[in-house]
Amino acid sequence: MNLFNKKSNKLQTTNEFNQVVVGNSLTKDAWRRLKKNKMAVISVIIVIVYILLATLAPILPIYPYDEIILDHQHLKPSFSKNAGELLMEKRLADIYTQAWRQGRMQVSEAEEEMLWAWIDSSNANKVWDYMFVVGSEQVAEGTYTLTAAEKRIIENLEKKLQTDLQITVKKVWYTNSETGKKENVARLPVEQVVEIYAEMVGASIASVSNQYEREIEQQLVKVIMAQNTGLTPEEYLLLYDKKLESMSEREHDKLIKENVFSKIVSYAKDIASQDLKTAATDASAEFPLDKEISILGSLSADVEATRKHDRQYYLGTDNQGRDMLSRIIYGGQVSIAIGFIGTITSVLIGIVLGSLAGYLGGKVDYFIMRIVDIMYGLPYMLLVIIAMAIFGRNILNLFFALAIISWLTISRMVRGQIMSLKNQEFIEAARSMGAPTWRIIFKHLVPNSLSVIIVFSTLRIPSFIMTESFLSYLGLGVQAPYASWGSLVGDAVGGMTLYPWKLFFPAATMTIFLFAMNFLGDGLRDAFDPQSKNQL
Amino acid sequence: MTKYIIRRLLGIIPTLLVIITISFFIIRVAPGGPFDGERALPEVVKRNIEAKYHMNDPLIVQYGRYMFDVLRGDLGPSYRYKDHDVNFYIFQSLPNSMILGAIAISLSIIFGITSGMLAAVKQNTWVDYLSMALAVVGISVPLFVIGPVLQYIFAMRLGWFPTSGWFRSGDGWKTIVLPALTLAFADFATIARLTRSSMLETLRSDYIRTAKAKGMKPSAIIFKHSMKGAMLPIVSYLGPAFAGIITGSVVVETVFRIPGLGRFFVQSSFNRDYTLIVGVVIVYSVILVIMNFLVDIVYSLLDPRITYK
Repeated sequence: MNLFNKKSNKLQTTNEFNQVVVGNSLTKDAWRRLKKNKMAVISVIIVIVYILLATLAPILPIYPYDEIILDHQHLKPSFSKNAGELLMEKRLADIYTQAWRQGRMQVSEAEEEMLWAWIDSSNANKVWDYMFVVGSEQVAEGTYTLTAAEKRIIENLEKKLQTDLQITVKKVWYTNSETGKKENVARLPVEQVVEIYAEMVGASIASVSNQYEREIEQQLVKVIMAQNTGLTPEEYLLLYDKKLESMSEREHDKLIKENVFSKIVSYAKDIASQDLKTAATDASAEFPLDKEISILGSLSADVEATRKHDRQYYLGTDNQGRDMLSRIIYGGQVSIAIGFIGTITSVLIGIVLGSLAGYLGGKVDYFIMRIVDIMYGLPYMLLVIIAMAIFGRNILNLFFALAIISWLTISRMVRGQIMSLKNQEFIEAARSMGAPTWRIIFKHLVPNSLSVIIVFSTLRIPSFIMTESFLSYLGLGVQAPYASWGSLVGDAVGGMTLYPWKLFFPAATMTIFLFAMNFLGDGLRDAFDPQSKNQL
Repeated sequence: MTKYIIRRLLGIIPTLLVIITISFFIIRVAPGGPFDGERALPEVVKRNIEAKYHMNDPLIVQYGRYMFDVLRGDLGPSYRYKDHDVNFYIFQSLPNSMILGAIAISLSIIFGITSGMLAAVKQNTWVDYLSMALAVVGISVPLFVIGPVLQYIFAMRLGWFPTSGWFRSGDGWKTIVLPALTLAFADFATIARLTRSSMLETLRSDYIRTAKAKGMKPSAIIFKHSMKGAMLPIVSYLGPAFAGIITGSVVVETVFRIPGLGRFFVQSSFNRDYTLIVGVVIVYSVILVIMNFLVDIVYSLLDPRITYK
């Protein structure tokens, strides 16, 4: 019996009616209060969904965020039509609009007036949309016939939409003629890869090796030039020689293999795209397909092919034909990561410095607090801007610049908390038992002020994200091809009237997250410290 | 009190020295100079340029010279623009930013206090909910989203105000409305929330109950008794508010293409125009430090409970 009922063996408190009194911790109590706050609960759910989407981005069925498809520039968001249909619609709208402007297509007087009003208020999108509808109707009714040139344009586009393929070579296989064994070329030793390539292009091994040696040299010199600027050509060559010397046999072989293998792959891609294009034209193949195609003699390749214009863009595309949906999700990854990691870093710095100042007092306190005072007087955003402009605009710098300036408030707060706690009895008890200073600070004082710290951190995250996006908006933060919510909004502001979806979706995504974080922070504060309700 | 003022004034000096020093050294350790273009300059030309700007002196000498010049009020020559020195460019663009900032902060104070007070007095009515909803929007939505949205609605769709430009572009005062509203929004939100919470607290305090018990008019209670006490947190928020206005003006001036100091600052940091960047930072810091000082003085005058040694 005792074995099963271990829990009830614990010392229990009972009240005067012999009922068990269950203890209640601050966190439990806070959680209960938080659950009652509807807005906070919704916010928690929103935040969790965002974090899940951002972390799961690599395995979500979305297009790569940096895949540029120039044909698909500025496609509008659509749930029902794929890229090809949108392209066709765009082209037809263009044709009908031109026909109307040249007077070949007739519309009623009221419509004419409306269209001109739109043009005057630079509402080109509405004109195109309207003309597409009117034009399609007129063509169907037979009141407007397409000219031969227009028909040709449409046919060409149709053919293009049919036959444009996107091909990726996943693996290249080599069938050994002697043993009949099929081998993955990427796994073969370097000599054999070179041999295969030489056989493929029908050249001698010597000329092939001559070619790749030269290319590797160019590639290495380019890297050296990017790393060291302002040297003479001779100095570059000297550096190159040194680099070659310092390289091991294996590294060198690896470079050769990469070089030759990439050529084999691109060759395989060329062959496969020729084959598949004919298949696409006479509709003898189903797309998307995934099969093995023989390339040349003993070589074959696993090829994946999709129709390029079958792609669906639920949130439209940007000015380089990249999918906005995936850019927003990956941008969220960057923004949320900066928000969380930045907050954690700044909170850690703040806790250490604040608790040292608060507990030790005296000179340490004076010194740390003077630094905080002076830094408070700085227009720190401007210093961050300078730092970003000068030390390079990458995510790591951004993150450091932000973390370094944002520990000030938290350190002041922690200091205040610790100063109010350090004279209490439990600290005195710890001290009298000989606990070292660090133990008193990090085991007794910091955990007891954690609720304040948690609340503050939650409210810090949105402001971190705002700062990051502010810098990215100015062009000083995250750089292409990476995205963050701020850089997406920044890119979109220019073409706001023509491509509103580019501005709307990232801005809305970001705003919803910031809303949720703010509500969550408010909710946590009310939960942990009910007396503070109705305060800022 | 006089002693306190003097001590605060003396406290400004190290802050300013730190700012100048940090900016100077950040820029000196930076890779790539203002004269690094696409093409490498011939050695002789490079040396001559460096000699002209004293860049081949030891770092400490450069630092000393710069410090001395700045203390005299001379921010040095611009590295990019050859026609004038930094002082000229700063004094050309500073007034624009000052006008914008002053209007924005007045708007945010006036509207923030009004809506915060209304929300507190009419707690849990639609007035309260509306103004707090507005405040949440102001806190959560970044300036560079609010700006384009206002542009889209009021300039492009309704055509009430021009999308961008400044006084000289012929639209006069209309050009300032949208940027000032945008800039005022964030501070409006915080001030409204602060006012509401501190008003609620004051309205619950004992002396207000006494005033009510004496049968005073509600308007007199609100304006004469509660408001004075409720204003204290707002005064202490004004320091950060000025900093926010300065940072915000960088974005707002970029969005609305206003020839102000903030836009200039972003451009020159792209250009690596060292002296200009440092000059702008120093000017901003001086403004910020003075504002913080004034805020502290006002605060100590308003709150008789605080005594200064």
